Amino acid sequence: MKFVDEFRDPALGRAVAGEILSLVEPGRHYKVMEVCGGHTHSIYKYGVDDLLPSNVELVHGPGCPVCVIPMGRVDDGIALAHEDVIFTCFGDMMRVPGSNGTLLDAKAAGADVRMVYSPLDALRIAKENPDREVVFFAIGFETTAPSTALTLKRARAEGIRNFSCMCSHVTIVPPLRALLESPDLRLDGFIGPGHVSTVVGARPFEFIPADYQKPVVIAGFEPLDILQSIAMILRQIADGRCEVENQYKRVVPYDGNLRALEVMQEVFELRPHFEWRGLGFISHSGLKLSEAYADLDAERRFSVPGVRVADPKACQCGEVLKGVIKPWECKVFGTACTPERPIGTCMVSSEGACAAYYNFGRFAREREVV
Amino acid sequence: MTVVRIDEARGLAVCADGSGTEADVETALVERVAVGDALLVHAGVAIAALEPGEVGA
Repeated sequence: MKFVDEFRDPALGRAVAGEILSLVEPGRHYKVMEVCGGHTHSIYKYGVDDLLPSNVELVHGPGCPVCVIPMGRVDDGIALAHEDVIFTCFGDMMRVPGSNGTLLDAKAAGADVRMVYSPLDALRIAKENPDREVVFFAIGFETTAPSTALTLKRARAEGIRNFSCMCSHVTIVPPLRALLESPDLRLDGFIGPGHVSTVVGARPFEFIPADYQKPVVIAGFEPLDILQSIAMILRQIADGRCEVENQYKRVVPYDGNLRALEVMQEVFELRPHFEWRGLGFISHSGLKLSEAYADLDAERRFSVPGVRVADPKACQCGEVLKGVIKPWECKVFGTACTPERPIGTCMVSSEGACAAYYNFGRFAREREVV
Repeated sequence: MTVVRIDEARGLAVCADGSGTEADVETALVERVAVGDALLVHAGVAIAALEPGEVGA
């Protein structure tokens, strides 16, 4: 298939793996964080890490939209779903445990919870059910936020008044800054989030080389994209450079998608603080509806508990999201916590590091030098 | 996804994925699209158009 097959060529993959091997300094350990959960998924699906020298370690970042939603926020969604509304959300979100079950459990208990592929589907449900209130539980980074923004603009333009949005969108730069400030983690470079960058561009990541002297390479999601990005990071390190490079030029303009940024600017504004699972409260990291769209804000239209709930003690999603531990180092990984019965969010979503390890058989093992 | 037809009345493009499954796609965030164009679609919205000449870039 066009745009896919050419990025999965085994011979080219072996060539780039050889290039990577030639760039590493023996005796030095390299830690590279892939920010985005989509990269984590691809790395384990295609075995990209098997092509890396043992001293190049991939560390998984916080860029899985479902994984970073805290339990209290899930509880808020469940409370809203039990109002007399049609509560809509993405499929992954239905399986995320709150402190007392999931949205799927709420559905089983009689709440009208429906899975949608897009916020536009939720708007269609609102049009088809004019006598019911329809709420969309909006999650995701800047990749998804434009879709919610366009849907809200469409709701406004079409005068659909029984539609509202519980906005839990987040932004990628503040958690990265928080991670870089963390003493827990020493990173050598970042594989930048390709699809977020389609919207925000490469420019917002310039603070990483400027303030922290670390290379960033915005990367695509096919195996060759990721391998090439790792080679580009290692080449920067070998050359003593640190800058933002764009490996994913086929969809990422350096300045992003200006139309998407404009629509987000109109519909959203930054929250002063937002709680992230495992990372705690991070300033200016979450989005809420702007005053101009306040009438479509479900949190204003309905009563939402807004109670903070601590993560389950057994779950180490926080450490996984910060890249401090590998998924298999969590004490409930693959035993009490599985994709069928997840305790933590990282085991729920296909973009979660725990689910990626579990689904592709990466339980616990030593890597060998290629 | 690839644009299969344009639904001008609804302001959407009908697009098919690699397996042929069709879905409505909002195209307000990309330049004018034509049948056969490849789009990067996220949550029902095209966030980028892939230019054939850019493959491998």
